[in-house]
Amino acid sequence: MSNTNSLLTIKDLYASVEDKQIIKGLNLDIKPGEVHAIMGPNGAGKSTMGYVLSGREGYTVDSGSVTLGGQDLLDMETEDRARAGLFLAFQYPVEIPGVSNLEFLKASVDAQREARGEEAITSAEFLKEAKIACKQVDLPVSFLKRGVNEGFSGGEKKRNELMQMLLLKPKLCILDETDSGLDIDALQVVAEGVNSQRSADRSFIVVTHYQRLLDYIKPDFVHVLSGGKIVKSGDASLALELEAQGYAWLQNAPAEDELEG
Amino acid sequence: MSEWLESAITRAQNLNDWLAPKRAHAIELLTQTKWPTRKTEAWRYTPLRPVERTKAGVVSGDANLSPESITGLEAIELVFVNGRFDATQSAKELPTGLLVSLGQDVDSAQQTVALNAFSTIKPERHLFGLVNDALAEDVILVSVAEGVEITQPIRISSLLSQGAESHTRVQVTLAKGARLTVIEDIQAQGDTLSTAFVEYDIAADAHLDHYRFALQTGTNVSIGGSHFNLHDKSKMHSSIVGFGSDLSRLDTDIIHAGEFADAKLNAIYLLDGKELFDLHATVEHAMPNGTTEENVRCIVADRARAVFNGRIHIHRDAQKTLASLNNRNLLMSDKAEINTKPELEIYADDVRCAHGATVAEIDKQALYYLQTRGVSRSKAQVMLNFGFINELIDLMPNAALAEWVRPIIRERFAQMEVK
Repeated sequence: MSNTNSLLTIKDLYASVEDKQIIKGLNLDIKPGEVHAIMGPNGAGKSTMGYVLSGREGYTVDSGSVTLGGQDLLDMETEDRARAGLFLAFQYPVEIPGVSNLEFLKASVDAQREARGEEAITSAEFLKEAKIACKQVDLPVSFLKRGVNEGFSGGEKKRNELMQMLLLKPKLCILDETDSGLDIDALQVVAEGVNSQRSADRSFIVVTHYQRLLDYIKPDFVHVLSGGKIVKSGDASLALELEAQGYAWLQNAPAEDELEG
Repeated sequence: MSEWLESAITRAQNLNDWLAPKRAHAIELLTQTKWPTRKTEAWRYTPLRPVERTKAGVVSGDANLSPESITGLEAIELVFVNGRFDATQSAKELPTGLLVSLGQDVDSAQQTVALNAFSTIKPERHLFGLVNDALAEDVILVSVAEGVEITQPIRISSLLSQGAESHTRVQVTLAKGARLTVIEDIQAQGDTLSTAFVEYDIAADAHLDHYRFALQTGTNVSIGGSHFNLHDKSKMHSSIVGFGSDLSRLDTDIIHAGEFADAKLNAIYLLDGKELFDLHATVEHAMPNGTTEENVRCIVADRARAVFNGRIHIHRDAQKTLASLNNRNLLMSDKAEINTKPELEIYADDVRCAHGATVAEIDKQALYYLQTRGVSRSKAQVMLNFGFINELIDLMPNAALAEWVRPIIRERFAQMEVK
C-alpha cells in the first residue's frame, strides 16, 4: 500500500495504553496534499491514534511501523516528530497558566526553525505574524498575552490550536475532533482556517465523530476506524452513508475488541 | 562519639595559637556531645555517614586553585585554599573604611576584642560550628567603619582540591550605618570536607547584603553556617543558592537583637541524583517591631533529598513582630524526597506570623503539549516551572550576581529528568 511518494505510512500498527491494546492492525497511507477523514464510534481508538503518532508518554507501540516523509516516526522524541512536520490539534487543549500564549507560540516556532537550520525570527516580526494569525482564526489579539488556553472557552481553545497550526506550517496536521463542542459559526471559522492551509504539500487527518465538519472540509478519503483498525474506506460519500446508517453495520470486529471510551 | 570527631579533637588539641581559649571551650563541649543519629532531631533526615566515611584530610602544599571569575563583578577577593588564607590571591588594597585582617597578625588588644566576639552570634548547639571553632586556624576579621558604604562586594571563596579538608572562619562587623555586600562561595572538587562559618554583627542602621553559593556537587561534604546579629533598624538581605552533594548542610541564624530590624532570606536549591541539601534556618525575634521574610524554593529530582527546617521563635517581648515563612517545592520524580518542617514558637500576643509549605509535581500533560509543538523537553520544563525560582533570582540586589547565577541554575534544571 505504501510507496515512496507517501507522506505518512502506517503499517500493521498495534499500540497499547496501560497494557490495554487499543490500536490493532492499523494501516494508513497518506500522500502529500490529501485530506483523510477518520470516523468511527466512541472508543474506536481515534484519539489514541493521534497520541501514538505524537509519542505521548504511556502510549506504547507493540508492533508495526510508521514513517513520516520516509523517516521512522516511532523512533523520534515527541518534539522531533513536531519538528519533522507533525502537528496534532488536541481535542482537549491543555491549559498552562503562567506561560503566555505568545511566549508559547514563539518558543514553538523558534524550536522548529532552529531544527530546520533557519534563522531565528525577531520578536517584533513574530508578533506581527501572530497578530495576523489571531485575526485569521477570529481571536482577539489580547489572547496572545493570556496564559496558554487559560480560561479560554471550548471554541477559543480550538481556534488557538488552529492558530498554532497556521504559525507552525506543518506537513501533516491531525485534527482530533476539532469540531466537538463548536457551534456552527465557530465550526465555519475552523473549517475556513483549515481550508486556507490546504496545499499540495500539506496533508490532513481529520478525526471526527460526525459528518457535519466534512460539509465544510471536503475529504479526499473517508475511513471508518473501529476496534482499533480501519474497517472500511471510501470517498466523501461514505461519510454521508455513515450519517444515515450509523456505525453499527460496520462493527464486525469480535466482542473482545469492544473498547474504552 | 565517632572516630572522625575523635581525631578532629586530637588534631585541635595539638594546635596552639591566639585562639586557644576558644578552642579549648569548643573541645570541652565537643567531648560532651553525643554524635548525632537518626534520633537526633537536628540531623534526623541528614545522616552523617558521609562524614564518618570521608577520605578527605589535611592537605599541605600548593593546590593551584583560583576563584572562578564572575562577569561584571569587581569583588574584593578573600581567598582560602584548602582552609588556609591565601594572601597572594586576596585583595591587597582596600577602600577607606574597610579593614580586613588575619587574626594572628593583629595586636593582642585587638585579638582580645575578637576573641570576646568569637562564637557569640553562632549558637553553640551547632555541632560542626564547634568543630569549626576547634579547627579553624586562619580567622579573617572584616570590619566596616561607621557610616561607610563599601560599594564593592567582598567575596570570600573557599577552594578545596581533591581530598582536602578545610575549616574556614570569618568574623564580619558592620559599624553603625555601614553598608556592605558579602558573597560566600565554596568551590570544591572530588572527595572533600569543609566547614565554613561566618558571623555577622550588624550595628544600628547598618545594611548587609549577603550571598551564599554552594554549587559543588558529587562526593563533597560541605557543612556551613551564616549567623547574623541585627541591631536597631538594621537590615539584611540574604540569598542562598545550593546544589546538593553527598552531604550539604547549612545552618543560618538570624537574631533580632534590636528593634525595627528587617531580615530577608531567600534560598534556592536544586538537587539531582542522590544528592542531599539540608537548610536549617532559625530566626530569633528577641526584640519588638522586627520583620522577617523567608522564601525557600526547591526543585528535587531523581533520588535526591531536600531538608528544610524553618524555625521562627518570637520571644515574649517581641511585640509587633511581622514574620513570614514560605516554602515551595517541586518534585521531579517519585523517588525524590522533601522533608519540610516549619516551626513557629510564639510567646508574644501582638504579632503577625504566617507560614506555608507546598509540594508540587511537574505537569506532564503541559510538558507533552509543549513537546508536540516542537519545544524540547528540557526547554519546556524550564518554561513551565522555572518561574518560581526566577522570582527569587530577580530579588537579588546585585544584578551581576543574578545574571551570573541565573543561567547556571536554569541549565541545571534543564538537565533534570522527569521520572
